[in-house]
Amino acid sequence: MGKEYIGEFEELILLLIVMLKEDAYGLAIRKALKEHADRTVTIGAVHGTVNRLEKKGLVESNLGGATESRGGRRKRIFTITAAGKKALHRSRDIKVNLWSQIPELAVNKF
Amino acid sequence: MKPQKNIPPKSADQFLTWFCKGELLEEIQGDLHEYHEELTERPKWKRNFLYWFHVFNFLRPFAIKKSRSINSNFSIMFRHALLISFRSFKRYTSSFFINIIGLSTALTCATLIYLWVNDELLMDKFHENGDNIFHVMEAMEFPSGTVVGGNSSGIIAPLLSEEMPEVEHAVQVARHLDNTTLSFDDKTIKADGHYVSKDFFGMFSFPLIEGSKNNIWDNPDAIVISETLANNLFGSTYGSIGQNINFRNEKHYTVSGVFRDVPNHSSEKFDFLLSFEGHTASQAYLLKWSSQSVAVYLSLYPDADVQAFNEKIHDFIGKHSERHSYRIPFLVKYSDEYLYGEYEGGVQSGGRITYVKLFSIIGIFILVIACINFMNLSTARASRRLKEIGVKKVVGARKATLTFQYLMEAVVIAFLALLLALIFVFILLPEFNAITGKQLGISFNLDLMLTLFGITLLTGLMSGSYPALYLSGFKPIAILKGKLNTSVGEIWTRKGLVIIQYTVSVILIVSVLVVYNQIDFIQNKDLGYNKDQIIHFDVEGKMEQAEHMDTFLDQMRNIPGVVMASSTRTKLTGDNWGVGGIEWEGKSADDAIYFQHMIAYYDLIEVLGIELANGRSFSRDFSAENTKVIFNEAAIAHMGLENPVGKIIRFRGQNKEIIGVVKDFHFDSFHESVKPMMINFMPNVLSQFMVKIEADRGKETLKSLEKLYLNSNPGFLFDYKFLDNDFQELYASEQRVSILSNYFAGVAILISCLGLFGLAAFTAERRIKEIGIRKILGAGMFGIVRMLSADFTKMVMVAIIIASPVSYLLAKEWLNSFAYRIDLEWWFFVGSGVITLLIAWLAVGWQTIKAAQQNPVNNLRYE
Repeated sequence: MGKEYIGEFEELILLLIVMLKEDAYGLAIRKALKEHADRTVTIGAVHGTVNRLEKKGLVESNLGGATESRGGRRKRIFTITAAGKKALHRSRDIKVNLWSQIPELAVNKF
Repeated sequence: MKPQKNIPPKSADQFLTWFCKGELLEEIQGDLHEYHEELTERPKWKRNFLYWFHVFNFLRPFAIKKSRSINSNFSIMFRHALLISFRSFKRYTSSFFINIIGLSTALTCATLIYLWVNDELLMDKFHENGDNIFHVMEAMEFPSGTVVGGNSSGIIAPLLSEEMPEVEHAVQVARHLDNTTLSFDDKTIKADGHYVSKDFFGMFSFPLIEGSKNNIWDNPDAIVISETLANNLFGSTYGSIGQNINFRNEKHYTVSGVFRDVPNHSSEKFDFLLSFEGHTASQAYLLKWSSQSVAVYLSLYPDADVQAFNEKIHDFIGKHSERHSYRIPFLVKYSDEYLYGEYEGGVQSGGRITYVKLFSIIGIFILVIACINFMNLSTARASRRLKEIGVKKVVGARKATLTFQYLMEAVVIAFLALLLALIFVFILLPEFNAITGKQLGISFNLDLMLTLFGITLLTGLMSGSYPALYLSGFKPIAILKGKLNTSVGEIWTRKGLVIIQYTVSVILIVSVLVVYNQIDFIQNKDLGYNKDQIIHFDVEGKMEQAEHMDTFLDQMRNIPGVVMASSTRTKLTGDNWGVGGIEWEGKSADDAIYFQHMIAYYDLIEVLGIELANGRSFSRDFSAENTKVIFNEAAIAHMGLENPVGKIIRFRGQNKEIIGVVKDFHFDSFHESVKPMMINFMPNVLSQFMVKIEADRGKETLKSLEKLYLNSNPGFLFDYKFLDNDFQELYASEQRVSILSNYFAGVAILISCLGLFGLAAFTAERRIKEIGIRKILGAGMFGIVRMLSADFTKMVMVAIIIASPVSYLLAKEWLNSFAYRIDLEWWFFVGSGVITLLIAWLAVGWQTIKAAQQNPVNNLRYE
């Protein structure tokens, strides 16, 4: 099924959502991206991607956690679905498999 | 800096709410607000910019609201009309380009003019209490006529605020500190300043960065300086309070406050302020009725009636000083002075508002010309779209729908033109600023955008209205039968519109010729003195003493390259005060004439190259020159003296012998005629050195002069100006008008010609078969060209005939504001007409020659 393939940026964001747990909302993901992957993207780009992931059924969301700095607006907290986890595993397996077949690259690297 | 409340720009939020899907809005806006909160460290503009950036970044398919009425009739029709518009642009490329070039040029001009006009209208409007601030003017009723001046006596301020209950504050401002030498440590700076009384900062909104307006003037030797001046002298504004600034190497003033730099929108410019109260302690004459050199401002309580107040103070000066009862004070609103600053015979007679109006009208004219092109081309091309209209009507389109479609087409073109125009404006703005001497910028604020949007929409609707109503009114049966008689009325409308275009163009060309010639006349007119190669600089410090000045003048003369040197107190570019009280033999009792007063030193008349009509000038070879006097011819004529040299007059109780008469020379703007002038020899009050230098050694000479000056007068700067530059500044506004009207006239002509070009192409195309047949029957190329251009020639001729008297009246009106002016020559009008005609022929000629050269076989074979 084509929809289970995920792009590199999507994968990154899925991983971050898992990592951030209860705090996985748009702006926090953006911050984490900067921190862990050294990538600066616009807020719109993050929102666009998580919306796409939700449409693909890889994440679910619910609203909660309004703060003063948000002007009393709630956050949309994302959590990964079973399908999302599966997609992540699959993506990792493919890569690990490929890496193991090219030992020279692995040797040179380490 | 005080912590500011950190609020994201409201307009950005509104924009987001407008386009964003409702279900996503909460989280997106929340994230954005939180993000904005994190940016507290950055400057405000950057925060807002980033916020806007991220808001725009949400313009992505997932976030944008689905149009609610996506399937409604209206939006389908709308999209259809848009589609048809683009198709018709593609099909009729040439008329599309003519329209878009014309409209975008016109919109560029209109935008630039709008920016300029808007900026002019904002001048002096930033004072919070602006509606209640007034300037006390004086109308001085002389027998020769009423003269209005902006200066009064300092004493009037406290008297008015004591006696008139309407007055809240009264402020005195003495502008006596231009180009003043200030220094701190080893830094020396020249700066402009005023003496102001203590309520100045309470009345005008010049915000203070350091110091408080309540106690800033407690010390009579206080100085309040601008941010820039503080930065230049001390390196920063912080800690500048309490520093001592050396004033003209005479005296120290203590900084008691720093104000934010005077904004561009203030007509009042100053770098520092001193206490008026402190100044009058030694210069008490400023408070006397006999001195008229202080500007007085009042703020009235909001409910005061200015009209009534003016009536109340009509005799105010007379009541306090009988001798000055000819001076009638009246109030004008401070914020209106910039635009309405000119008086003629005591009556308000315009000012810069004239230019504001003039350019607004030109802007509108240019837009109208471009709109007319659009109307003409689209109605002319109607015949080619007849089938489309016929079919649409048969299928059931109503008149309203078709009207909408054509209006839509026009509006779309107008907005495409706006985009182009904005690009042009960006490119042209620096150049435009250089010409107008302003710092205009396009800031994307709501006001500007709404105005541009409004102008463009209006342009689109205006240019689309006629074709839309005209095209949609056809009868479908007649169209499809191919029988469309162009009605006489329609042709007349089209011709009428072309005539209007050309009338406006001719008027603009005449105006350019007149303005250009007048400016040229002024700048090259014989002034009666030679303003070239003369520099002038301030007499300061010890130079104010006669013996130092004499040595210095001598030393200067010894510098190779210096032709002559002298000093004076008179500005040769006008704005000098007259003196009264001169008595001569045979003076009539009611003669209250004021003489212009020039104060001269030895050689001044020679330095300036003023010609003597009679007698001699002041010279070192004679003694007691201060008991002698020189007049100009206008003065002698007024006094009615025959053989004036040797006669005695009385001035300020002193007998003075006339030793010479100089020929009249212009020491004032050309808006004024040469007034009677008295030249006195007064060594103690000289304020300007005047030095004539040789043209070809200017640079070295100036260098040696600077060296000499710095050595002889330590602590002061050698800050010179060329006299002819001053003269150019005097006519800066006319110069600007001249340059701008050049450009605008060019644009108007260009747009008109574009229209004519399009019309000619169209006519040639429609008559292609006729041309073919004529050629077969033996018509020559010349005959055909003549046949095709005859119509246009007639239209342009009619335009010239209409435009000539109109432009004559306009030019006469403008020239009347000059006392010395050119005559309106016949060739201004004939010349403009010929130019217009030639350009029109050029535009038409190319098309007609092309049409006449075609092979008739190609044109006729399909029949």
